[in-house]
Amino acid sequence: MASVIVCHACDLAHRRDPVLPAARVRCVRCGAEIYRTNGASIDSAIAIAICAGILLVLSNLYPLVTFDLNGALRDTTLLGATVGLYRQGYVPVAALVLLTSFLAPLFEISAVLYLLLPIRRRERALAQNPAFRLLMRLRPWVMSEVFMLGALVAMVKLAALSHVIPGISLYSYGALMLALSALTFIAPSEQFWHWAQGFRE
Amino acid sequence: MTRFVTGRELGLMVCTRCRATVRAAVRATEPVSYGCPRCGARVHSRKPESLATTAALLATAALLYIPANLLPVMQTRSFMDIEDDTILSGVLTLIQEGEWPLALLVFVASIVVPLLKIVALGWLLLSLHRGWRGHVHAKSKLFRLVEYIGRWSMLDVFAISLLVALVQIRSLATIHVGLGALAFGAVVVLTMLAAQSFDERLIWDAETHG
Repeated sequence: MASVIVCHACDLAHRRDPVLPAARVRCVRCGAEIYRTNGASIDSAIAIAICAGILLVLSNLYPLVTFDLNGALRDTTLLGATVGLYRQGYVPVAALVLLTSFLAPLFEISAVLYLLLPIRRRERALAQNPAFRLLMRLRPWVMSEVFMLGALVAMVKLAALSHVIPGISLYSYGALMLALSALTFIAPSEQFWHWAQGFRE
Repeated sequence: MTRFVTGRELGLMVCTRCRATVRAAVRATEPVSYGCPRCGARVHSRKPESLATTAALLATAALLYIPANLLPVMQTRSFMDIEDDTILSGVLTLIQEGEWPLALLVFVASIVVPLLKIVALGWLLLSLHRGWRGHVHAKSKLFRLVEYIGRWSMLDVFAISLLVALVQIRSLATIHVGLGALAFGAVVVLTMLAAQSFDERLIWDAETHG
């Protein structure tokens, strides 16, 4: 089916150049991006995923924010935000925060590595397709950039009461946010199949 | 004007997960589902029951939008008093403190965005249901905007989660989550699911077949 490509957003059929090494194609009717590969090497995608993984670990080792109220110090980590909600009995909200700030990014990083490392060795990951589908399903729930802004809002609100000290995690989580955007950019879904095909031939 | 040929007319479908173009075994004028040969996801010519699913999720979200804004999302208890905060009062506090840009940000993310999502998706559903034609590019742009901005409403939920974790100093002040936060979180999730279940292609179908 290499000769026709159908727009996922408006169902318009396009005739397609069979050999498109690195291209970004927009639908002529609705303007949706229907095809994107960027010619990036699989190694750079793996490197960014590893970098994001390290940043996520760092973000969990150090406090995110420390709050100093008349000498009474209190800090929280990334997971502390979930724990606080959980302790007050708001389990669904806690689960939502845990998923969007930690589990979904963790899964995205692991899934990219799980899928790409075997391709690099000219192999195929066990349950490659279910893992790929789950990755696509979870991507909209990765909200690290929204979490960063939320942290900023919380810090400004607290700064009105007393002293607020940003922690190491805040910086590493900020860097994680950038690494995740880079990962989504460098490894779009079409690119994945491109790599999978290229290395098997 | 150029004649547009759709995938459906050619008996082709697009996989929603990997976006591969897949040939349907028969001319798919009816929604038929197959496993995608590339990624194995179920492929449909159009998402099944798209409008009904979106409408159900959206109606629930619209209903919960009321308690999400009226009930307190957060309660601050200090030795002097107990203060309840709704989403709107949180914005007003930021304005009083002179934090204009941040107040605007929270106002847009927490109040405007959820309302825009509900109104926009509701209008799209109504226009498809009634078969209103025209403005097809505007409709498609509106849907993409809704899809894109949806996640930003989580902003306040994240801010509250951090405030709750940090302000637990019993001798001075403690912050507790309010029921409004539960309703608000539900609105965010429901509107995101509503946008995901909406099939954009129906906007264009209405134009060509309506």
